Amino acid sequence: MTDSTQNASMLSHEADYDGPILEISNLSISFFTRLTEIPAVMDFSCEVWPGEAMGLVGESGCGKSTVALGVMQDLGVNGRVVGGSIKFKGRDLADYSPEELRQLRGSEIAMIYQEPMASLNPAMRIGHQLIEVPMVHQGISEHDAYALARQVVEDVRLPDPDRILNAYPHQLSGGQQQRIVIAMALMSKPALLILDEPTTALDVTVEAGIVDLVKELGHKYGTSMLFISHNLGLVMDVCDRICVMYSGEAVETGTVNDVFDKMRHPYTQALFRSIPLPGADKNTHPLIAIPGNFPLPHERPQGCNFGPRCDYFSEGKCNDTAIPMADVDVEKRHDTRCLRFADIDWDAPLAVVEDKVRTKIGAPVLSVDNLRKYYEVSANALFSSAEKRVVKANESISFQAHEAETLAIVGESGCGKSTLAKVLLGLETASDGSILMNDQSIENTPISERSTKTVSSIQMVFQNPFDTLNPSMAVGRQIIRALEVFEIGNNQGERHERMLELLDLVKLPREFADRMPRQLSGGQKQRVGIARAFAGDANIVVADEPVSALDVSVQAAVTDLLMEIQNKSRTTLLFISHDLSIVRYLSDRVIVMYLGHIVEAGTTDQVFSPPYHPYTEALLSAVPIADTRIKRKRIVLEGDIPSAMNPPPGCPFQTRCSHKSEVPGGLCDTELPPVRNLANGHQIKCHLADDILSRMEPVIALSQDGAA
Amino acid sequence: MEKLSWLEIFISIIGQFTPVWIAMAIIFALSIIYKRRLGLYGRLFDSPVGMIGFGIVLFWVLAALLADVIVTHDPLAQVSGMKNKVPGTPVRGVEGSWYLLGGDNLARDVFSRMVMGARHVLSIAPTATAFAFMVGITLGLPAGYFGKRLDTFLSFLSNLVLAFPVILLFYLLVTPEIRVTGIPMIMAGVLFLFPIIFVVLLWQSRYFTQPAKRNLFVGVTLVIGLWAYSGLAFNADPLNIFYMDSNLLNVFVSVVFVNSPTVFRIVRGITLDIQTRDYVAAAQTRGEGAWYIMLWEILPNARGPLIVDFCLRIGYTTILLGTLGFFGLGVSPESPDWGSTINDGRKLLGIYPHPALPPTLALMSLVLGLNMLADGLREESLKD
Repeated sequence: MTDSTQNASMLSHEADYDGPILEISNLSISFFTRLTEIPAVMDFSCEVWPGEAMGLVGESGCGKSTVALGVMQDLGVNGRVVGGSIKFKGRDLADYSPEELRQLRGSEIAMIYQEPMASLNPAMRIGHQLIEVPMVHQGISEHDAYALARQVVEDVRLPDPDRILNAYPHQLSGGQQQRIVIAMALMSKPALLILDEPTTALDVTVEAGIVDLVKELGHKYGTSMLFISHNLGLVMDVCDRICVMYSGEAVETGTVNDVFDKMRHPYTQALFRSIPLPGADKNTHPLIAIPGNFPLPHERPQGCNFGPRCDYFSEGKCNDTAIPMADVDVEKRHDTRCLRFADIDWDAPLAVVEDKVRTKIGAPVLSVDNLRKYYEVSANALFSSAEKRVVKANESISFQAHEAETLAIVGESGCGKSTLAKVLLGLETASDGSILMNDQSIENTPISERSTKTVSSIQMVFQNPFDTLNPSMAVGRQIIRALEVFEIGNNQGERHERMLELLDLVKLPREFADRMPRQLSGGQKQRVGIARAFAGDANIVVADEPVSALDVSVQAAVTDLLMEIQNKSRTTLLFISHDLSIVRYLSDRVIVMYLGHIVEAGTTDQVFSPPYHPYTEALLSAVPIADTRIKRKRIVLEGDIPSAMNPPPGCPFQTRCSHKSEVPGGLCDTELPPVRNLANGHQIKCHLADDILSRMEPVIALSQDGAA
Repeated sequence: MEKLSWLEIFISIIGQFTPVWIAMAIIFALSIIYKRRLGLYGRLFDSPVGMIGFGIVLFWVLAALLADVIVTHDPLAQVSGMKNKVPGTPVRGVEGSWYLLGGDNLARDVFSRMVMGARHVLSIAPTATAFAFMVGITLGLPAGYFGKRLDTFLSFLSNLVLAFPVILLFYLLVTPEIRVTGIPMIMAGVLFLFPIIFVVLLWQSRYFTQPAKRNLFVGVTLVIGLWAYSGLAFNADPLNIFYMDSNLLNVFVSVVFVNSPTVFRIVRGITLDIQTRDYVAAAQTRGEGAWYIMLWEILPNARGPLIVDFCLRIGYTTILLGTLGFFGLGVSPESPDWGSTINDGRKLLGIYPHPALPPTLALMSLVLGLNMLADGLREESLKD
């Protein structure tokens, strides 16, 4: 048989094939180290039908990425499929020769990774990278490939395709890079697209655009998708079906609606209870954290992996033998890995926790007035030339924070929230304006000149748990160091005692004092970070995205801890975040920042209900919410955040605003909107007329049918 | 007495190293038993390359330490009639005594000179490298941390040193005319100050909150440090305990001088990377001083690449010392160090290869061992 006839027969075989695109049955994957075998995925089964989008959700370490790598047959030297099979279009991938696999990857199966910059070759022009795909796989001419690339770049809605094709990756923004990665994956019109956390590295408004794009292209090209994410809301937006994974196993599969509304596995239920959905409130309706820790592969329990953390655990039944998948609804292919799903009353109302008394908010402790922070960057550091440019990181920031209050500062990357934190903490000094903390003016005092009392009373909790602790110093030592610097305790003995009390405060066992940071999980490290921040009895704590890098089940626990400590010690919490769900859940007041300006400020209720600033509106609509009853208005922002080096004239948001046309006279282009007081301290920086603002509809609403 | 056969020579040499074998066996056995508790050093024993490298290095270190027991003859003594004798020649008039690796052109025992040479090389190379590291670290940390003008200035300075031909620099430093000007002494005065500064900063930044402890540590450091400093750099130790031969001082200073800019660059680079971490920001927000952050937050986390570079750099310094010895720079003509021995043997290489070969192989194996050790450490430090 000649090559062409063989190809033809292969094609005809594929054309005839009408089963699932991807069929994984009882897949087990292990990684082998010198010492032992680590099972990463066990007994995993799922099917992806043509045109279907399958979501794979779970916490980090649950094996979802390993499944994806298994499908790509790219497990590295240590990984091996130890059981089960992966069939692509009915043919087992294990039967493919390396040559055939190479043909398959990139043409039939394409993968999109989390970090767009890491997926693109920084030394090649975008166009070159794109045309490689069809030239290698389909053998078409360079000219045709280029035309195709241009077409696909238009499809992923990038402006000015010719310029983009000529650009190098670093000349594009993160969102644009991810669009290029998607374009590259689509160049050969694959049958299956694997997306591994494709939007985690992006801002929410950019994420919304990418998610829309992925959905639309999925329909247009008829591509099946395997969508891996830890974000339930995102999966709900994109996928038809979902598979929840826990500790290497699939615990529940089904359609998105079934799993979200009629979950039949305790882990899925616990997961939903631990994420802040609209309606959750820190005082009346708190989040419920999943007790215990995620088991490491070598300490998985006998029987059900979730058993030790499960509310419905039954001794002798759940911890007896390995638990198979059971059908909940054969018709809808809804399965669960729970023995007791029929016994559990899934609609039982939550045990009512006692209502916590809302903390009384006290007097102002921090007032910031008209604060500005400009950075001067000169083009050449060695020979200071005349060309100096100014980055306006903060522009006329004014707000007050009260005792025992949680003030959320919301905005995307580059909005100036981190600069604000730096100025408050004294790592930078203000260019203009004033900061009064406990009736002391601190705007021009760098941290080296602040008194120990001032330094210890404003502290910070950092974002990345893996970076927040010095990896080569024991946990206890790091807390004691903070105590030493803050001059707490008269001798080492007293400080040691105080350090143990701080560990108690953040609910860590006292033995942890001697542990090294690498022996702690992410959530535990974050607790140590909190203990360290509270070491000097801080009365203001700046928390910079303290939970965004943690898994959802851990997020709830850490958030609760912060709230509890705040209640106890009446601390003012400045909660910097881009995650509006968690902000709505725990904050008393919210400040929304965009490009160095406060565009909206008010109580949580005021900010989360109309009238909105157009940016707040877009932000709210961009955040995925894992609740099928919620209807969201979709406002997808075009373009990227402008550079703070070269902000647009007039209103900072005018380049992306969807309401710009409603303001007469092009006012947005020319004039910075004044701060307007709408009601009871609700401030907004916008030119929109009052009647337009009052006509705004809520972005998030309970849909009629689901509300019952 | 009979001349020894090659096999007998081999067996005798192995036998001479008996104390080394015993010590190595003990160290390896203990290390492997307790390797899970020994951190990075213990994990070295998981990597075959690292283990072999460590073995070779350990062999030479022990040989240097136990050289007095291992040598068969005085490495400087000349025995008449043994000039250029081939390996295995019995020493005339002494029963049961051979020149195991023959005699050199001054009738000295090549084997004993090789073993004693290890002591010379290993007493200079690691110390000089350690000094270079202290200089590089003390300057590299602030250059990376503060940046701006300081960085520009120090980087320029290091480029200047790196741009100067090394061998020419050595020739200059040992030229009598230059020595008269006292430049080597001044350089020693400056370079030897850095270890003291380094250690004092280390204690001060860590213990300033506990003045009693701080005063004790800083005091002890200053007393010992300045005492050694006066002796080593200016030969002015009142008790004459710390003393460095002026030839040796030249070599030492030159080696430190040419090595420290490279260390400086490495430390500066790592500092630039590590200072963006949150734990550095956390230290800043609790008002820690700059030196605490540099020495206790940044430096310990830079240790991986630095340890690897340290091993490689000892090898490099060893070669450098060999080169210096080869050119007859800075060491006494009699010295058994490997470079000088190779140079001596070179002259008659065509007729008698045996005096030049053993020190060459010794030098090669030590550097190879150091490189393998560095590879093993790198490999193991990346796993975690």
